[in-house]
Amino acid sequence: MSIYKHSYRAYMGTLTPHWSRIVVLARYALAEAWSSKITIALFTFSMLPAIVYLVGIYLANNPLASALILRGNKTGLSIDAAYFLKMLEGQSWLALAITAWIAPRLITFDLADNALPILLSHPISRFGYVFGKFLALIASLSLVTWIPCLLLFAYQAYSSPQPWTWDHLSIAGGLLTGSLIWIALLSILGLALSSWVKWRVVATGIIFAAVFVPAGVGGIVSAVMRTKWGLLLNLPVMMTEIWQRLLGAPSVMRPRQDLPNQAMATMLVLACLVSVAMLNARVRAREVVRG
Amino acid sequence: MGIIDMNGLEVRLGGRTVLNGLTGELKGQAVGLLGPNGAGKSTLINTLLGFHPPSKGSASVFGLDAHRDRARIREGVGYMPENDSFIGNMNGVRFVRYMAELAGLPAGEALERAHEALFYVGLGEARYRKINTYSLGMKQLVKLAQALAHGPKLLILDEPTNGLDPMARQRMIQTIQEIRKEGSIRLLISSHLLRDIDETCDEVLILKDGRIAALSNIEEERRSNRNFMELETVGAIEQFSVKVRGLGCECAIYPGGRIKLVMPEQIVARDLYRVAADEGVQIRRMHLRRDSLEDIFLRAMENGPATDGGQLTNVDL
Repeated sequence: MSIYKHSYRAYMGTLTPHWSRIVVLARYALAEAWSSKITIALFTFSMLPAIVYLVGIYLANNPLASALILRGNKTGLSIDAAYFLKMLEGQSWLALAITAWIAPRLITFDLADNALPILLSHPISRFGYVFGKFLALIASLSLVTWIPCLLLFAYQAYSSPQPWTWDHLSIAGGLLTGSLIWIALLSILGLALSSWVKWRVVATGIIFAAVFVPAGVGGIVSAVMRTKWGLLLNLPVMMTEIWQRLLGAPSVMRPRQDLPNQAMATMLVLACLVSVAMLNARVRAREVVRG
Repeated sequence: MGIIDMNGLEVRLGGRTVLNGLTGELKGQAVGLLGPNGAGKSTLINTLLGFHPPSKGSASVFGLDAHRDRARIREGVGYMPENDSFIGNMNGVRFVRYMAELAGLPAGEALERAHEALFYVGLGEARYRKINTYSLGMKQLVKLAQALAHGPKLLILDEPTNGLDPMARQRMIQTIQEIRKEGSIRLLISSHLLRDIDETCDEVLILKDGRIAALSNIEEERRSNRNFMELETVGAIEQFSVKVRGLGCECAIYPGGRIKLVMPEQIVARDLYRVAADEGVQIRRMHLRRDSLEDIFLRAMENGPATDGGQLTNVDL
């Protein structure tokens, strides 16, 4: 089949391995996500806090600059687990905003135009399809979460005049683990919610609502029932607790409101399972008519 | 071994048996899939693509199990679904390239063949336009292009002329005929339009209520049929009919010089003209009628599905 002849020729070349089809999906999903100027704007905006924290580390480790700018006042500039916790929290909530924008772009275009029958008629499974999109989202969110956090950790390790790194290595582990838990949860939740809505704007709203509405409900439950268990519905509080424990930062919760690790892990696993069930119901090549 | 084999294939969806014990072998270059709404045509296609697991029996494509080896089957299959199915905010080239890469072509090859496939189906000039700006006919063509781009061994077309105007339909039919003529691709074409199947296929599988009503080689069926001829004549038709009977034709005379003939295979219209000239009879009108696919289809519908659980039955024509 050549353009000038307009005739058909069979393909005789080699085929790529099966696993690489997931990479193809991820590559096209990334291109789709980053083709939007709003994505670029959100990403740029999400780098601003990282720059502020970078300056903070610079000032904390540079006595001359610190003396000139802070005039010797170093309050709040000790570079420790609490410092990185604040940074991780900020970056994580920016990651939520990016998820709410990107995740619908990855799925709703396919659903709105009924592309799944064609996509899944190729040698790619439903799991492969979702996993490809998941990888694209994880890669995008990594750019605003654990990558800048670990880069700043590395900068702090480099800048610190005292031996600092080995004593604080758990912070790096916490940053990586905490970020990965959060972006994996956001990715699967974002894809699942997007798969049920054909309009992107609505999907964006639903993703925010899925995080904050249960938090409100959990608050009401806690207040009415006078129990701490309502906090299990409060994703912001629960994640802050998880990050704080992973980084080894001082707790911000009142002593009686501490949630057990098992309960928090169970809630996260439940949220993921519900998301998987939602994706399983929606990502199909054909609707099955019952009855 | 045929390109598609079915062995007691049964598919149940939502508690309902949609395909009921299909057994048969499809080995034509282009196989038409006919049947009324709800007969199971699309379900059969989806089962061959591995979307639905058989509840009983099995189906195989290229000798590979349709469910167990679905990834390998899909590598060699191009599928054009019935309904709109594309990514509207991609342009034609990007969409076809994406599908070719998913089918296993390296990125460079996929891009090259995406351009070629779009030119081949006639969308060369529109290939950089976003698909959601395409007309219905162009959307059908871009679906065909993506099904062809990776060089499949089997092309499955579900209602390829759905919603097309006569010109676009003709172009689609011509393209399908060219693909068939080229010879390296087998075709499975599902359509409600008997004419589409008639013009493009050499074998037809007719489904009714999830069972096989008929599986026929269209060309062979036609060849085995006798030719019916209707004549309007002026002149000595009695003598003419005697001579025509002498050629081996069955002949019936009606008032007004009308004659109906059943001609044996070796007799052609020229022989009738010759006899008419000899007898001084004018042939004012001549109408040759062969059994059409419509006749085959209607007979299959009247006969109904085979009573032995969908076992392949050739229609007695």
